[in-house]
This record gives sequence, structure tokens and C-alpha cells, in this order.
Amino acid sequence: MDMTFREKSSWGSLLALGAVAYWYFPRAFRIASNNNEATDMLGISITCIVALIIIQAIYHGIIASKGSDRIDERDILIDLKAERIAGYVLGIGLFWLVGHIVASGSSDMVAEVGTLSIAVWILFAITVSEIGKLSARIVYYQVDA
Amino acid sequence: MAKTGVRNSIRKMRFEHGEMTQQALAESVGVTRQTIVAIEKEKYSPSLEVAFLIAAEFAVPLESVFSYEHKKKQR
Repeated sequence: MDMTFREKSSWGSLLALGAVAYWYFPRAFRIASNNNEATDMLGISITCIVALIIIQAIYHGIIASKGSDRIDERDILIDLKAERIAGYVLGIGLFWLVGHIVASGSSDMVAEVGTLSIAVWILFAITVSEIGKLSARIVYYQVDA
Repeated sequence: MAKTGVRNSIRKMRFEHGEMTQQALAESVGVTRQTIVAIEKEKYSPSLEVAFLIAAEFAVPLESVFSYEHKKKQR
């Protein structure tokens, strides 16, 4: 398939992020809902960050060695369009989270939901928006933006 | 995706200039080959700078390579 470096990079990042998120979030939500120690969360978070960095570094090294890693004006335009979609997704996610906290109806809303849960939900919203951005980028490349 | 209003004769120009490849044109104007493909298919409108660089590569005025098909907006 005839793809630019940026498109190949988007595919790699999307698959890596999807796989890591699929492994991380069920565990993170379980730890948060059981009020387990924050050190458990820290452990799996560090594992995921290291895994993502290693996967991305290896993948980008491979695709950069096979061709030009030049980025041009079309790549930048596609990036901007995809960033806009990611912004909407993140905004909706965070508004939903704030609404959820307020709807808990407790006098101490944050304690009711749990700070660890809030942190995981924020990270989840950021991850979904990143996946949305990478997916949008791929779609724009496919339809020749 | 729908075609843009910008029409071009890059393909014809390339063949008139010694069957220049898309890759060669892309390298000379500083974009990727995929961007030249998208411009040729009229699915991406290049910036003015890239349009001028493409015309300069063929040593012709801008309007010899690019034209604009004005579409009236429906009310």
C-alpha cells in the first residue's frame, strides 16, 4: 500500500495505543474501584508508558529506514483537522466526567467518586481523543484530504 | 472525497517535460509523492507557494498549470 511516513506512523501509533489501552484500562478501573493502593496504579502505568515508548521507537525506526520521513503541507493540514476532532472528543469526555461528579450529589463530590477514579477517567478521555485523532488522520489520508 | 475547485494540468505537463515522474516533481518542490498524487487527482488544493513552485518547475506561468472552476453557491 502506498502510504506516506506520517500515515504509516499513524497506523503504528493507533495499533500500539489501542493494544496498550486495551491492557491498561480494565486493570486501572478495577484498581480504582477497589480503592487499592495508588502504588499498584503507578506500577501498571509505568509498565504501559515504557511499553508504548519501546513499541513506537522500534516501529518508527523501521519505517524511517524504509523511506523518507519528510512531512509536508498536506500532512500538516491533515494533522490540524484530526486535532480538531480530538479536541471535540476530549471536551465531550471531560464534560461528561464533570457532569458525572456533579450528579453524584454528595457534599464532597470528588471524595464520592474517588480521586483515583477521576484520574483514570481523565486518562481514558485523553486516550480516546488520541485514538480519535489517529483514526481521523488515517481516514483523511485514505480519502485524500 | 469531492474534488476541489482547483483544476490542473500537471499530468500533461509532466509528460511534456520528458515524462517526469511524480517522485521527481515531489522532490523538486519539497512535498511527498502522495501529495503530488492528491493534487493531480484534484482532491487536494496546494498552497500558493507549492503551486508557484510546480509552475516554476515546468517553466510556465501559474495559470498554465492551475485554473479555478468557480462554483456558484446554491441558496
